[in-house]
Order: sequence, then C-alpha cells, then structure tokens
Amino acid sequence: MSKIIAVHSYKGGTGKTLLAVNLATTFAKQGKKVCLFDLDFRAPSLFAILNMPNAECWLNDYLNGTVDIGKVLVDMSSKVPGNGKFFVGFANPATEAIRDMSAKDRKWEMRALGRLLSLRNSLLNEKEFDYIVFDTSPGLQYSSINAIVTADFVIVATTSDRSDVDGTKRMLRELYNLFEKKTGLVINKVLDAASISKRQEMDKKVREVYQVPMLGLVPCFCDILRAEGGLIFVRDKLDHPFTKIVDEMARKIEKNEVS
Amino acid sequence: MMKLSFENNYQCVVRLNKPVPFITTVRTQNTSARGKHVNKEEEPFGKKPLSVLEKIRDNLERLNEKMEVMIELQKHGRKDAMLPLADTPLDVMTLLSMPDHLRKTAMTICRCGRATAEEISAQTTRARAVESSYLNQLVIMGYLKKERKGRKAYFYADRETRG
Repeated sequence: MSKIIAVHSYKGGTGKTLLAVNLATTFAKQGKKVCLFDLDFRAPSLFAILNMPNAECWLNDYLNGTVDIGKVLVDMSSKVPGNGKFFVGFANPATEAIRDMSAKDRKWEMRALGRLLSLRNSLLNEKEFDYIVFDTSPGLQYSSINAIVTADFVIVATTSDRSDVDGTKRMLRELYNLFEKKTGLVINKVLDAASISKRQEMDKKVREVYQVPMLGLVPCFCDILRAEGGLIFVRDKLDHPFTKIVDEMARKIEKNEVS
Repeated sequence: MMKLSFENNYQCVVRLNKPVPFITTVRTQNTSARGKHVNKEEEPFGKKPLSVLEKIRDNLERLNEKMEVMIELQKHGRKDAMLPLADTPLDVMTLLSMPDHLRKTAMTICRCGRATAEEISAQTTRARAVESSYLNQLVIMGYLKKERKGRKAYFYADRETRG
C-alpha cells in the first residue's frame, strides 16, 4: 500500500495544493492518521489555506536539522470531522526564509533528502501515521524531486494546456521513469467532463500520450474558483462533485487500484 | 601493495586501502589456494594460525571486491567516469545523471541509510556479487563511504560530514 504520496506537476496552477489538502483531509475523515507537508518552499500556501497565522517551528527548521519533526507538526485534527488525526508541517512563508531555501547548495539538498527519507521510520513506523502527503513545488525543483524520491506514489496534476501536456510528458519520461515511481495522473480543469465522449477521449489521450494510469478527471468547477481557496471541499461541501471525485481517488490509492 | 601471481602467468597488482601487517603471496594450484607467510617477525604463522588465516581471508575478500570493480570497469569501458571524485554529494540530480544500474543501487542505499551488499541485493533482487561491485564503484566515485566491521562491509552516504 502507498503510504507516502507526493502531489507534483510540471507547471504551476494545476491544482496540486487543492488536491493535496483535500486528499489528506479525506483520509483523515475516514479515521486515518495523516500528515500533510508543504514542500513548496518558494511559494508556501498551506498556512493561508488552513488559516494558520504562525507556527512555532517550520518544516524548513526540520530540514535544516535544527529541530525534531515532532516540533514541526501542528495538530489540526479539530478542523476535520470524525475520529481521524490530521497533522500539518508548514513551510515558512517569510520572504527571508524563501530566499534562504532558494540558496541551498547540493550538500544541503542531499541532507534534506536523508531527512525526508527518515520520515518513513519516524512517522510511519514510530508514530504510526497511516499516510504522509507532500504538496510540492512545480517543475524540477530540488525539494520536489526529493519528495518524489521519498514517495511511494506520485500524483501528477496536469491540465489540457499544450505546454503543460508537453512538459508533463517529458517529465514522466525523464524523471519518473528513471526513479521507477508508481504514478497516477489527474487531469484538472477539464471542460465538458460530464460527457461520456469527453471522458473516453481523455482516457485514450492519457494512455497514448502519457503512458501512465489515470487517477482522476476533475472538471473545471466554478465553485472552486469562487471559494478563493477558503474552503476545503471534502469537509465543507460534502455533496459537491469534487468531493466525490477526491473520495474515489482516495479509494483507488488505498485499494491499490491505480494501474 | 599486494601482488598476485596466477598459474596462467597473469599478474594482478592491487593497492589496498589499509596497510596490511604482512605480505601474502597466493599461488593457485588447480582448485586449491595456499597462503605463504613472508614476514615472520610481525606475526609468526605457527603461533596464531587462525588469526593469520582470518587476515588472509579478509585480504582476499578485499582483493575480490577490487577485482569486481576492475571487471566492471572493463565491461563498461568507462574508466574516466570512474575516477574518484572527492566530496561528491549523492543528491537527487546526481542520482538522475547516473547510469540505470548504479542509480538502482544508490537509491536503495539512500533508503536504507547504511547496509551491506547482501542487504542491498535483497531489495534490488540482483546478485550479492553484482551489488558489491556497484557499491564499490560508488565508493570509488566518491558518493559512498565504506566501513568494515569484522567480516561485514557496510556502505553509506556520508551525509553528516559533508558541508
């Protein structure tokens, strides 16, 4: 079973954070013990989406080796319905911290990879978390590739944009294949996704163009745009089609049905 | 420096990482190998035969590892790529630039942290000797460190002392 899940994309604005937050919340809603990490150090966003004004310690501190992972995790279980546990590790949104993370060298990145890899033991084995979800930065950033190497399963979010299709295709071939990663594709902002012919067309496209299994097809929902990042749909809009799509993705991941 | 002479007149000279306390000459005769002690002052053969034999065995194992690396170098014909690169971090970009066979070993050692060739081979499902060879290549390339504890050789990426 995939325990560590990374959500990644070639371009920005494909819905990585939306997917990561809603997927992690879905697992927590089902009674699982989940940890969500913001690995987008160049444009941190989880603190705003989850209304976290300030954190005592950031994920940056853990990767710098100055604090233990336990001090970074913020318990937000009260914000999720049910008996599940929901913890979040935030990236520091301060400009100075973003600048600092952008200037790290290869040796630091190597140690950061080691610290991410050690989360498998410290969180999954010792603290008995069921899932770790990484929200990454787009493209071939060090932090994203570190997350991909650490993950058991990578969700690649993409759109129908031509440059996104081309870049995602290249990234799958030249990055994911080399690391032999199990991957599921999510096509976001699809127009006319309700029609069967459109779904069949997208299914065929994914098989031919990307050559990886499709995890989900997300229509272009005006409600998501209107929410302006202020809602967690799987918590706040239980009957919304998007909630059902994320539920289905979580089910496929849990049952290992992505192939 | 150790010098091996074989029946078929091949000579193999291997420089060991650690100085050996005695000089050993190994001659192969059909299928058997015989050790001959040269420097009697340092460790008389008669007094501690077991420890001498253990040292010979350890040195032969080291020689074997070195020869596996040499065989790999010959196979791939990439001597330049194998030159030691001091202080080279094993980061994800380095992993990406590696040939497939080495990347698999390097990624497994990244996940394990510290492991023997046998432990790595259990995960990659490749033969122990093959993994031993790849691990030694990665040591020569400067990406991994190697430490002996008794008969076992442990490999690891030295994350803490770099930078």
